Amino acid sequence: MGEVIVITSGKGGVGKTTTSANLGAGLASAGSRVCLIDADIGLRNLDVVMGLENRIVYDLVDVTSGNCSFRKALIKDKRFDKLFLMPAAQTKDKTAVNPAQMEVLCNEIKDDFDYVLIDCPAGIEQGFRNAIAGADQAIVVTTPEVSAVRDADRIIGLLEKEDLREPKLIVNRMRHQMVKHGDMMSIDDIIEILAIDLLGVVPEDELVVVSTNRGEMVVLNNNSKSGQAYRNIVRRIRGEDVPMMSLEDSGLFGKLRRIIGLK
Amino acid sequence: MATDWAGDNLVRFPGGGGGEPEDMADDNTIMVQRTLRSGQSLQFEGNVVILGDVNPGAEVVATGNVVVMGSLRGVVHAGAEGDSNAAVYAFRLQPTQLRIANRITRAPDGEQSFSTTPEVARIRDGMVVIESFQTGPDRQG
Ligand SMILES: Nc1ncnc2c1ncn2[C@@H]1O[C@H](COP(=O)(O)OP(=O)(O)OP(=O)(O)O)[C@@H](O)[C@H]1O
Ligand SMILES: [Mg+2]
Repeated sequence: MGEVIVITSGKGGVGKTTTSANLGAGLASAGSRVCLIDADIGLRNLDVVMGLENRIVYDLVDVTSGNCSFRKALIKDKRFDKLFLMPAAQTKDKTAVNPAQMEVLCNEIKDDFDYVLIDCPAGIEQGFRNAIAGADQAIVVTTPEVSAVRDADRIIGLLEKEDLREPKLIVNRMRHQMVKHGDMMSIDDIIEILAIDLLGVVPEDELVVVSTNRGEMVVLNNNSKSGQAYRNIVRRIRGEDVPMMSLEDSGLFGKLRRIIGLK
Repeated sequence: MATDWAGDNLVRFPGGGGGEPEDMADDNTIMVQRTLRSGQSLQFEGNVVILGDVNPGAEVVATGNVVVMGSLRGVVHAGAEGDSNAAVYAFRLQPTQLRIANRITRAPDGEQSFSTTPEVARIRDGMVVIESFQTGPDRQG
């Protein structure tokens, strides 16, 4: 039986959908059977990020309201046989689903997969409660900004109340240069407040935007820093012990400089 | 609750420094074994001991003293029903805002305290003062 992991944040726009798509593709390319559930009803975009928009026939609300079986609604990814998407309904609103229905759905789906990843909507309202209802574990995404970290903290408190203890943290859009100059929160600052395990740090990378706009996932790009970060996170989720990438200076130039001793 | 910014109602601190541990014992005390996260609020009639942090965006309101065995970064109100002998103790005292009885203080804008030793905030001569908190040698053993 698979694990259901909700990817959540509190604050909007910090990278939940990007993280869901990349971890889904990364896990599938590593050989796991993965189902992505887009729980952002009314604002679906996981299908767009994955380039699967034109294949949608049925959606999450069709399944929870009994219009069709979940297998019928699942869309197979065009790159990986083992990657599937349960799309969100765009024309309905989030009250069309309730937490009890989500729990039933997750319990049904997880028999067929190794990982079920749920892309959670922003906020702490019903959409959030739907998204976490069937989850066994949670990943909290934040950016290194005070307001995002504050919301992440709030979310961790709410997750603990729902018995989703020990969520894991992903810090997205890290800009090491800014941290160095003291213009951005460092990983240490963030961990000191949130006090949860760090699953990975994804750097700010314009390749994320470029890939997203093409319906591709940067995790599959071997020449990108963000892709490397996502691949490391994938390996950690699969239970490997992967050391954190150098936090202060990533990239080959940084490494070379250190080896040569310029630093 | 009426708050008093003006500084009238000067509160005389009773002799002996106050805040002796024995003084706390006769009140109701609650121990909270977790970190209070953003959006969480704890209100209690009595003393509050938190075995964790009080994060930014969290709030503790107690009619008695507040002790934080960790970092206090949120909002704290001790002596919430007017007890101006109440005090706030923390391993790292960096509150967003600190209130004792009807006094309200906050760190000056742009300034952050970096004290790494335990500190105590209490009212002395009508003002909230923050001092490093040490148990004297006479209290040990
Ligand atoms: N590491 C990154 N580097 C650069 N851009 C990024 C990175 N991560 C995400 N982005 C960009 O940030 C924007 C928001 O990302 P995304 O849609 O994944 O956030 P979200 O948390 O799902 O938002 P919402 O709360 O609206 O659902 C997107 O345009 C995405 O391409
Ligand atoms: Mg999203």
